[in-house]
Amino acid sequence: MKNSFKFILFLVVALLLVGSNSFYILTEGQQAIVTQFGKPIGKGTTEAGLHFKLPFMHKVRYVDKRILSWDGSPNQIPTRDKKYIRVDTTARWKIVDALKFIQTVQNERGAKARIDTILDGHTRDVISSHNLVEAVRNSNQILENLERKKELVQEKKQKGEVADAAVLEVEEEVSGEIEKIQLGREQLSELIVEKADEELKALGIDLIDLQLRRISYEKSVEEKVYDRMISERQRVAQKIRSIGKGEKAEIEGRLAKDLNKIESEAYKKAQLIRGKAQAKATAIYAKSLTKAPDFYEFIRSLEAYKKSIKKDSKFILSSESEFMKYFQ
Amino acid sequence: MNQGQPDLNYELYKLKQSFNRNKKAFVPLIVALLLAVGFFTSYYTVEPDEEAVVIRLGRYLDTTQPGLHFKIPFGVDRVIKVKTKIVHQEEFGFRTQSLDTRRTTYSSRNLDEESLMLTGDLNVAEVQWVVQYQISDPFKFLFKTSEPVRNIRDVSESIMRRVVGDIMVTEVLTTGRVGIAGDAKQLMQEVLDKYDMGVLIRSIKLQDVNPPKKVQASFNDVNAAKQEQEKMINQAEQAYNKVIPEARGKAKKLVSEAQGYAQAVVNRAEGDADRFSEIYREYIKAPAITKKRLYLETMEELFSKLEDVVIIDSKVKGLLPVFGKGITNEK
Repeated sequence: MKNSFKFILFLVVALLLVGSNSFYILTEGQQAIVTQFGKPIGKGTTEAGLHFKLPFMHKVRYVDKRILSWDGSPNQIPTRDKKYIRVDTTARWKIVDALKFIQTVQNERGAKARIDTILDGHTRDVISSHNLVEAVRNSNQILENLERKKELVQEKKQKGEVADAAVLEVEEEVSGEIEKIQLGREQLSELIVEKADEELKALGIDLIDLQLRRISYEKSVEEKVYDRMISERQRVAQKIRSIGKGEKAEIEGRLAKDLNKIESEAYKKAQLIRGKAQAKATAIYAKSLTKAPDFYEFIRSLEAYKKSIKKDSKFILSSESEFMKYFQ
Repeated sequence: MNQGQPDLNYELYKLKQSFNRNKKAFVPLIVALLLAVGFFTSYYTVEPDEEAVVIRLGRYLDTTQPGLHFKIPFGVDRVIKVKTKIVHQEEFGFRTQSLDTRRTTYSSRNLDEESLMLTGDLNVAEVQWVVQYQISDPFKFLFKTSEPVRNIRDVSESIMRRVVGDIMVTEVLTTGRVGIAGDAKQLMQEVLDKYDMGVLIRSIKLQDVNPPKKVQASFNDVNAAKQEQEKMINQAEQAYNKVIPEARGKAKKLVSEAQGYAQAVVNRAEGDADRFSEIYREYIKAPAITKKRLYLETMEELFSKLEDVVIIDSKVKGLLPVFGKGITNEK
């Protein structure tokens, strides 16, 4: 009885040990390689859940199945046009061949070191064999927009719809030369991925993408860029001010011109009206008076006497005058 | 049987008895404990702002909604709760320092690296922005990528630089804001969809967008210049508007006056002509006597008005001294 009890206890413990060693749980986001005394068995497990194995003989090694991040340390790289920039990249990668991965780099730490050298190298190659703009811009959208805008302004200008200020505004936006790009930012990253892909495949790694996270000027270059920006802004401000002064002078000129025109035209018109009226009056007089010029002379003279001789005038009248005819 | 045997047997029996007695108390205790643990780990609640991912023996089983749910205890079912209803926010180029004070405070110290970026014309702009996202698929969010939040940050920085890199610095600082945010949101979603990580970008909002501090003054100066330009033009226009309408009015006045004069001259001429015609009509009937009458009447009127009339007899000579002494001859 005692023995059988002990035996059962032993059996239970043994079964538990063997049982717990004959399966493994693979959580979501993981994959595993089963090895038999160090020798890999099968191609690895990627399906999450409960899996069976031979107890004690089989060992399970887990690796990540998820998309992993890689963060490169910023590099100082000169571009083809000799501009010194700092390039900071990140990448996303995935273990697609767990066996190869374990054999070549063992674990994620080992992988990181290899990815560092591979991606840094290719990034350096690609960046340094292209001009800076290729890493900054992704399209020639700026140039196209500018072209379109210029055409629009030209068109309007021909129709006489816009003043010079609008033309200036287009010019003002462009500071320096806008270079045309051949590839652009996205394609540069793709180029890096393409080149690195094969080397990483050998490690059981699939490179999903590489992002040029930050591209900035080197500190010493930065100062110069700032100085350039300042001088550009100053030039623009100067231009705007002088345009303002020009516009002002133009308006003042227009003022003088319009004022003279208005005043002289009014004078001209008034004089014409007066002249015409006087002519008309003359004609009226002439027409009426030619009927009896002598009588008119007489009657008008009398009227003129009446009007021209004032109250305090001295008047010496000869007794021989017509008026005094009967006085004598 | 042996003499000592019963003793031993008895001892053993006693031991067994006590063990059995103890077992009888022990087993229910263990069973009760197991039941209690099983009971307390067999349910879980999901809060209203969450969803829960259930993993059974490592394998994805279900995503459960808010409420009370049951699960298999003892680590068979594992439940991971994810805040799916909450809009999460990532800040770039600045950090919200404190929401406790009355006014939210921000810090942008040492984040130049994050916010400084090159524009399409190879200038530099400082852009601060916010990405708001929601977890649209909690399972994918948990198990598709190892560092989902870092992916969001990396991609957002990269995309923002790509969008800004395609625009001029002046546009970035002024009219481009809305376009940048929209483009960045769309592109970012595209990249995240490629990772299939269960994240939905709700919005990207640009915060402060400035030129680098060192060049800020010169950018402001351009704005000032624009203001000055406008002011100058306005002043000139103002002067123009002050003078010209007045001049137009005056011109109209001048013409109107001339027109009035013209009317008057013509009317007077016509009046005079008519009057003359009328007089003449009567005069012609008796010219001599009328002429005389008119002459006398005029003279009469004239002389009666005058205060100083001297009549000189043509026969009187050497009259001159009389003059100037104020001798007046009243009529």
